Amino acid sequence: MWIDEILMREDILSLKNQAISQINLAKTSEELEEIRISYLGRSGKLTELFKNISALKSDDKKLNGLLLNQAKATLTSTIASRKNSLKESARDWFDPTVPGTKPGIGHLHLVTQAIDEIARTFTQIGFVRVRYPEVEWDWFAFEGLNMPKDHPARDEWETFFVDALPSPDFGQMVLTPHTSSGQIREMQRVKLPPVRMINIAKCYRRQIDASHVPMFHQFEGLVVDRNISVVNLKGTLDYFARNFFGKERKTRLRPFHFQFTEPSFEVDVSCGICDGRGCKLCKEGWLELGGAGMVHPLVLKNGGINPDKYTGFAFGWGVERTFMMKAGLSIPDIRLLYSSDLRFLKQF
Amino acid sequence: MNILIPDDWLRDYLKTPATSKQIAECLSLSGPSVEKFENNVYFIEVTTNRVDCASVFGIAHEAAAILPTFGYKATLKKIPLLSYKLKSRVKYLTVKIDQDLCFRFSAVLIKNVRISDSPLWLRQRLLNVGVRPINNIVDISNYIMHEIGQPVHTFDFRKIGKSKMLLRPSDKGEKITTLDGKTHILAGGDIVIEDGYGKLIDLAGIMGGENSAVDVNTKDVLLFVQTYNPISIRKTSMSLAKRSEASELFEKGLDPELVPFGISLGIGLLSKITGGKADSDILDIYAKPYQKKTVLVGLEFIEKHIGIKLNRNEISTILTALGFTTKWKVDNLEVSVPSFRSGDIKGPVDIVEEIARLYGYYKIPSELMTGLLPEPLINSPFAFETKIKNILKGYGGIEIYTLSLVDKNSVLKSGALKLKNPLGTDSEYLRTSLSPSLVKAGNDNSGEENPFHLFELANTYIPNGRHLPQEVMTLAGIMVNTTFVKARGIIEALLAELHSSIGLIPEEGADFLPGKRLVLKYSKKEIGEFGELENGYFFYKIRVEDLRKTSIETGRFFPLPIYPPQIEDLTLNFPEKTKIGEVIEAIKAVDKLLGEVRIIGTYKNNYTFRFWYQHSNKTLTNSEVQSVRNNILKMLNDKFGAFQ
Repeated sequence: MWIDEILMREDILSLKNQAISQINLAKTSEELEEIRISYLGRSGKLTELFKNISALKSDDKKLNGLLLNQAKATLTSTIASRKNSLKESARDWFDPTVPGTKPGIGHLHLVTQAIDEIARTFTQIGFVRVRYPEVEWDWFAFEGLNMPKDHPARDEWETFFVDALPSPDFGQMVLTPHTSSGQIREMQRVKLPPVRMINIAKCYRRQIDASHVPMFHQFEGLVVDRNISVVNLKGTLDYFARNFFGKERKTRLRPFHFQFTEPSFEVDVSCGICDGRGCKLCKEGWLELGGAGMVHPLVLKNGGINPDKYTGFAFGWGVERTFMMKAGLSIPDIRLLYSSDLRFLKQF
Repeated sequence: MNILIPDDWLRDYLKTPATSKQIAECLSLSGPSVEKFENNVYFIEVTTNRVDCASVFGIAHEAAAILPTFGYKATLKKIPLLSYKLKSRVKYLTVKIDQDLCFRFSAVLIKNVRISDSPLWLRQRLLNVGVRPINNIVDISNYIMHEIGQPVHTFDFRKIGKSKMLLRPSDKGEKITTLDGKTHILAGGDIVIEDGYGKLIDLAGIMGGENSAVDVNTKDVLLFVQTYNPISIRKTSMSLAKRSEASELFEKGLDPELVPFGISLGIGLLSKITGGKADSDILDIYAKPYQKKTVLVGLEFIEKHIGIKLNRNEISTILTALGFTTKWKVDNLEVSVPSFRSGDIKGPVDIVEEIARLYGYYKIPSELMTGLLPEPLINSPFAFETKIKNILKGYGGIEIYTLSLVDKNSVLKSGALKLKNPLGTDSEYLRTSLSPSLVKAGNDNSGEENPFHLFELANTYIPNGRHLPQEVMTLAGIMVNTTFVKARGIIEALLAELHSSIGLIPEEGADFLPGKRLVLKYSKKEIGEFGELENGYFFYKIRVEDLRKTSIETGRFFPLPIYPPQIEDLTLNFPEKTKIGEVIEAIKAVDKLLGEVRIIGTYKNNYTFRFWYQHSNKTLTNSEVQSVRNNILKMLNDKFGAFQ
């Protein structure tokens, strides 16, 4: 069966015009829906014409197909704009301001967020993340770090002792009071420098009040290689400060003392609130980050590394404190971090 | 230790135009840290190795060396030293001392003192350093200690029985009452002084005895200045939990060369303020006088550690200002260490520190190291742990960190590590399981009516004979206000996302409701558990390393089917108490042409299953499908008594 293509073109145009005039007269969205169905529905008038196309010659197919698609698009958009121009009462009522139904939102703990970010910052410059025993021998925690028994320097580390038989070689069993106990373990693992370690772990100290908890986290950096100097320590700390705190931030070193580093430093970072000019939150423009130093030759030796060939630096800071300084969080009681209060946990 | 230094007192020894703010800043950058400056007092933190700085004079000495490096003139005034005869025997006192306990023992008799209040200026200075004035004798001792960092004691001379002193280690169980009225039972090995009647009159280096203390009737005093063995002092002070300003100084190892200055200042002040008259003979027992020690260090060594080039003059100037003497032999430096630094200067790196800090840490450039990168850690666990946490977070899980220290009832009866010095009985053991902590975390949120899911990744500590405990990284979680099927779904989804092929096998277990526990198994090895606890919480725990071994990082690839599956739904009725998990496993085992089976609806004992029949390289015919279907239905009827 051949259909006259001219006739078809006219059919399309007149159907289109007829539909448009009906649309413009429609008063309600129901009426518009009826019109839509009668032209564009499964057996609508325009839809029927589509079915006839297959019977045309190929040139005509193309032309009529184009016309039909144009007509369809025009009707669809005319219906839509007519719907919008109807009075609100005549439209379908929908309230898009009703809050959405959220999926259950999970939360990673602040400490996890902090650890991930710290680890990422250091692994970018070739540090290898490790972790070492949380229950450790005294030798790794103190003695091997040049802190003999009965040394007053140990006062700073309020240590928990485990009620266990001491090791003949390594002394008492303790809960590691700092990540520095990983220094010798790492040197023993790597054996031959380069060492670039970032050790992030739980630590324990016998103290509890609003700013101390018996369990907390530290991150320890250790770099040992040929010709490592204070210049490289400063470079690394500044890199960390720029990446972690922001590109304007700087660090500075002040003299301090640790038995396992020489020279030893206290590290400050410039205050982000006042840009180092000095404000209520900082000390003359600086905030204390934590300790650092050049690895003591005795410690290198205890780690099996020749101090005549190699030098190194180390630093070890509190994860919680460092992260709170970054995020500008002031959590008045650090114990809240280790509580299970949903109202707290859901904030992060 | 933290010390207080009044600015006016400091300037007795330090002549400088620098303001107090400038002094504070320079000290902090190159010496002891000034924490704050308030009411004309510096609050200074002195590190344990620098006990020589723990006084007005010590700080003046540091400041005099540091200020010029910042361009401020500064000179140090010396401590006046009176010329008296130092003798190893005196008429007024017989002593016998253990020289391993007391490195320098010196004393002088001062007669006819008048006890009264101290003059105002002295009281004011003591108040400024936080010391309560008592009377002129005691105040003078405290004054000297703060001025030069050397503790000084005074005995009422007439209370020393037979004018005899025996300085010895204590015996275990001996008792002494100190001048604060407290009685101590000694552990043995403490430094004590016994008089001629055999009674203890001094807990040396810690606090004087009550029975020999100066009082209002005191006429003659024995001025007493010593250097004690720091380790003995520390042991006593730790074992009696008794700290005094004197013990804090002694335990850090004082310079014996400071003793004559203490005596000299003491005689001067006692005669000026109390009118007392010192005997012309001063007892001074000093068996091993300080031998100058030298440290050798090369220029290259110094430059290599600091990372900058320095010239020899610069180095000498710095060290000389700090009280060292230097001698260059080409590029090798011989440093002679003054007595007051002999405790902390032990080797070349200690010299490096002195040079670097006075050169100015702030002037040292900042550069990342170059050189080879280390090898990665083999089998690193961190990425997997992060992945687990993120997956659970995605399912609405909330991560918690709970204390690893728990009470006795929370650990395995078979054994757990106990602390020697816990903070309390509620945190006396290292946990062997995370479940008590998580149940407690659930209970802490008992007001919450909506479903919630808490999880934690942490070590449990399993005793391991004479070795360090095994630290087992464990994932555990608790789901509250939910259903078994939903909670189980979380575990299944986690395993699916990790591409783990762990099975969930019903098995009864303690603490779980009967029939409501599943064991996570991988080739017959138990690696975790899940189920409903007696309190209605759903709890799970999995050993993370075992889980990692059963997981693959990326999913496996199977070619996509080219031919469409045939899909049909069948509803079957099962007898009561049929385990549908087993039914599904059995259906899957019938024929490999059955690609997938799922439950799409249940009503009482009727279950509607949807079956996907699929062949990898053709479209299945109706009769092929029918044959599979018949086998399934027959099996379900034979094995489970199910019918359509």
